[in-house]
Amino acid sequence: MAIPNAVDLVQAVRRFLEQEIAHDLKGRKAFHAKVAANALAIVERELSHNLPLIEREAYGALLGRQGSAKALRQALCAAIRDGALDDRSPGVLDALKAVTVARMAVDNPKYSTFLRMTSR
Amino acid sequence: MADLQGVDMAVLTQALRRRWRRDAMVTAVTALSAGAASDTFAVDVALNEELRSLIFQRSPSGGPVEGALPKYVQARLQRRVQEHGLPVAEVVCILEPEDRLGQGFLMQRVAGESLAPKYLRDDTFAPARAVMAQQCGSILARLHALPTDLFKDLPLARASTTDQIARLEAMYRGFDVDLPVFELAFSWLKRHVPPPVGTALVHGDFRSGNFLVQPAEGIVAVLDWELAHIGDPLEDLGWLCVNSWRFGNWRLPVGGFGDREDLYAAYQAAGGHIDRPAMWFWEIYGTLRWGLSCLQLAHQHLSGSVVSVERAAIGRRVSETEIDLLHLIDKGTI
Repeated sequence: MAIPNAVDLVQAVRRFLEQEIAHDLKGRKAFHAKVAANALAIVERELSHNLPLIEREAYGALLGRQGSAKALRQALCAAIRDGALDDRSPGVLDALKAVTVARMAVDNPKYSTFLRMTSR
Repeated sequence: MADLQGVDMAVLTQALRRRWRRDAMVTAVTALSAGAASDTFAVDVALNEELRSLIFQRSPSGGPVEGALPKYVQARLQRRVQEHGLPVAEVVCILEPEDRLGQGFLMQRVAGESLAPKYLRDDTFAPARAVMAQQCGSILARLHALPTDLFKDLPLARASTTDQIARLEAMYRGFDVDLPVFELAFSWLKRHVPPPVGTALVHGDFRSGNFLVQPAEGIVAVLDWELAHIGDPLEDLGWLCVNSWRFGNWRLPVGGFGDREDLYAAYQAAGGHIDRPAMWFWEIYGTLRWGLSCLQLAHQHLSGSVVSVERAAIGRRVSETEIDLLHLIDKGTI
């Protein structure tokens, strides 16, 4: 508890950029400082989400097999590329939505389509 | 943004004297932006009798994006489109290699707001927003009505829709990433290729962010012609409705400021032809194309050709296009 973990460190650097650095800069450098802080916010969220697990579960159930997230992702890409699966195949859209929504929660949880697809 | 290389005022003065006016004297150069397709500078010039405000645009240091026109072709195209009455900044002169300023040209600086979040949100721009969807429809109809023969001496890409999809797919395969949603979008597009409504000069990047807007008048100039090509004109209308160009105003599909019906009605009133199923196709095509641009920009950072925190971060916008593609394919609209 007393030792800052990766999330604590990244968060500290992000706040430093947002609260102390961005204010002192102008123009393109201020813009880049904001982009940098936003990139660290993505890292913070990624560290506390287990995206590979979500991919393994969603793609594993769809393809009816087990494997690493990368192996399953590649197999799914190949199946779509070869025409074995497409958007009309049962479960495909749902599996892709589950993974993409989870990814959006890391990449940009303010994005309009993410908010539309997650609010009921 | 990548870092802009400085422009030497003396070198630019010499170039302007050679290509434009012998009394030109550059008094200020201000870097405006380093985009994927251009580096852009504001240039103030003193002439004997007057001061002129120009824009200098040249190929970016990291090389132009996939499919971008060489600057001298873009400049000649802009000139020709402007001569035919479209709202485009007047090209002042086109640079040559001996000018030692890279590939570029200078044009008049038109007064207007280019930042979409500003004209989409500020109250002063409310009158502009009310007319911009109609303006887009009529500008595009006039552009698409120009005979393609007008441009036959310019080396513009001319490809069927099927070939355009193939080009995007080759670009995607070249990045060696595994994105199931992009695979799904390619599969969908190949099954839904619409018959072309015609063959026209397509602007290629007609969207919020590439307009100069005045609060009362609306669109006064259309910028960034480097992705112009000959193809199905509806590509421009679909691209204009891609969710990324709504800047959060997703309920206003036309650039974040208007409704599709106003765009379509104005386009048809000015002689354009709308095919609704084709519009669905072109919105999906546009969304995928923007996703590939994000991938390409991120790839520039990863490969080391343009090292930039902005290029790195834009790679994480790929998922925005994925969620939009899924929504579009599933619901038929977004």
